[in-house]
Amino acid sequence: MFNKILITGLLFSLASIAQADVMTDADEIVAKANLASYYAGMDGRSEVRMIINDSQGRQQRRQFTVLRRDVEDGGDQQFLVVFSQPSDVRNTVFLVNKHMDRDDDRWLYLPGLDLVKRISAGDKRTSFVGAHYFYEDVSGRRPSDDTHELVETTDEFYVLKHVPIDAQTAEFASYITWIDRETLLPMKIEYENAAADVYRRVEVLTVEMFDGHPTVTSSRVSDIASGGSTDMQFRYIKYDVGLPEQVFTERSLRNPPSEWLDRPK
Amino acid sequence: MKRLRLTAPLLLALALPGIASAQDDMWDDEEWGDEQEASRWSGFIEAGFGTRFNRDPLLSNRNTLEELRWRVESDWQPGRLAISLKGDVAYDGISDSLEADFRDLTAAFTIGSSLDVKLGRQVQTWGTGDLVFLNDLFPKDFQSFFSGRDDEYLKAPGNALRLTRFSPFVNVDFVWTPEFAPDIYLTGERFSFFSPLEGGNVAPQPPLSAIEPGSSLSNGELALRIFKNVDGREYAVYLYDGFFKQPTALTEDLQPTFAPMTSVGASARQALGRGLINIETSVYLSRDDRNGSNPLLPNDQLRLLVGYEWEARANLTVGLQYYLETTLDYGALIANSPFPEYEPDEYRHVITNRLTYRAGRDKHTWSLFTFFSPSDRDFYLRPAYSYRHDDHWSIATGASLFGGDKAHTFFSQLQDASNAYLRIRYNY
Repeated sequence: MFNKILITGLLFSLASIAQADVMTDADEIVAKANLASYYAGMDGRSEVRMIINDSQGRQQRRQFTVLRRDVEDGGDQQFLVVFSQPSDVRNTVFLVNKHMDRDDDRWLYLPGLDLVKRISAGDKRTSFVGAHYFYEDVSGRRPSDDTHELVETTDEFYVLKHVPIDAQTAEFASYITWIDRETLLPMKIEYENAAADVYRRVEVLTVEMFDGHPTVTSSRVSDIASGGSTDMQFRYIKYDVGLPEQVFTERSLRNPPSEWLDRPK
Repeated sequence: MKRLRLTAPLLLALALPGIASAQDDMWDDEEWGDEQEASRWSGFIEAGFGTRFNRDPLLSNRNTLEELRWRVESDWQPGRLAISLKGDVAYDGISDSLEADFRDLTAAFTIGSSLDVKLGRQVQTWGTGDLVFLNDLFPKDFQSFFSGRDDEYLKAPGNALRLTRFSPFVNVDFVWTPEFAPDIYLTGERFSFFSPLEGGNVAPQPPLSAIEPGSSLSNGELALRIFKNVDGREYAVYLYDGFFKQPTALTEDLQPTFAPMTSVGASARQALGRGLINIETSVYLSRDDRNGSNPLLPNDQLRLLVGYEWEARANLTVGLQYYLETTLDYGALIANSPFPEYEPDEYRHVITNRLTYRAGRDKHTWSLFTFFSPSDRDFYLRPAYSYRHDDHWSIATGASLFGGDKAHTFFSQLQDASNAYLRIRYNY
């Protein structure tokens, strides 16, 4: 145990040293932040829960397990999301094959009908299962969808401004990210409308180390315009579990793979 | 039985506050443990009411839905088995009876690494159509579908053995239903239906009960699907051996029954442009009437479906389908039919349209599903709205609107069944 901490600590400080060189290229920072946020390890598993707070003070809950496999670092990915709560979505399964060069392939399994429903490519900036998070917040926005500008480098953060290349693809006019210089994780994102008002904010609340990867374990998205927010927490995180490609097929929709979904011992 | 009508809502009212308060402390860190528990119980309690816009002169009850339903679900994993249970107890005011059924009562396990076995009572679905079925010959409950129950109830459970073999080359699904599981068809109890013998709608008393094939194993159903996903393009080939799922045949003494049928089909589904295209075809072979000359038995059919679905704008999905049902040996059918005027057209065309709009982070869902047949000149509209108040309470309302020019066509015969419904559900 002591050794593991020591080694992890050593690696972490080495990583810090390596990154102490200040980056100045916005595209490079974004590419590295994208890898840190969405591509840690070659694969990973996590349990996730969300509390959705609407503007009237009502709460809803979602709980699910996510399996992720990278086909290529920074490139195509596969996701399997198995819901356990609330009861009306229990055993609903969501399968995504994320592609860089074309629209993602998405399937939803509805257990009540035993229906494997294919979902057409859609606006990814719509609610993810009723939360204030968007699909794109969960699976990542392609860096090539925006232009990036390094606005400021503070002791702690790279502050970048991003503008969508095709304004039709997003509801924002621009967004600002505060990227931690050490972990390269975006710690805060603020979305601005055409009037340059911040109407939506994503904040990372805690970061912990798992298998050598700094990992977000809680975050919050606030819909500033309506007053609602969603908190998301991650637990039982493990990287490089060796997920085979076959886990991400129709088989897992009807018959979720408990071998990979069960909590690591 | 009548007493239940009063006591059940009372029980519901007493039980709910207790259930609700137990789940309010959502942010308790200990709750992460829940998920991995060996078993848990969940389900819902639902009250549903549906009534016709106009009375059906053949039926004494104007309503299509009067029910209080209690759903219980659980699953657990003893060893390498996965046991799943999903059962309903419902008081049905239309038939004034208490009904209980399992939608799922199965044991599943894997042999080796790639053969999945699921045995027991289960709901099954395959094929690419949206509310149009070609190669999906698993039982459907049209009474539920027309009366305003949740869409889930369109699929009826059957007792079956399902074997699924996965391999990198091709996947194979095999379903054996030892005892024929027909559709839940129109019987005259909840809805009247067209009878060629009478030349109009009938609502027989006692309700229609078609003669089912004997329960010998040779009268079971076999369904096979061979399927493969090649880089997002989904291909499947289907084979079925059993019976027409609706009582469209007559016995020698003119009792409704199910004709033996074998079908072969294929489907493909893939992304095209910003949407999804699906193509499916199937040939139904009426085994005892291959040349179409027996007026008591349905003819062979060739079915074809082409569909396209896309997100027209954020949260608005549009689906269009064209469906063609061709009756083969049509000349022989008409030449031998005692009621040629009531036989289906040689080519029955149906166009469907689905619009779905979600709003308020999916709290509100509006949808409209339209069936329209230019050849039968009839239609079926299904507008619906659902509101998910929170993780417990939801409301669904909608209507079934039927119309057409002729008395005997599929949707037109249901004109007097046009109804609106409201359901309130508590999930626990």
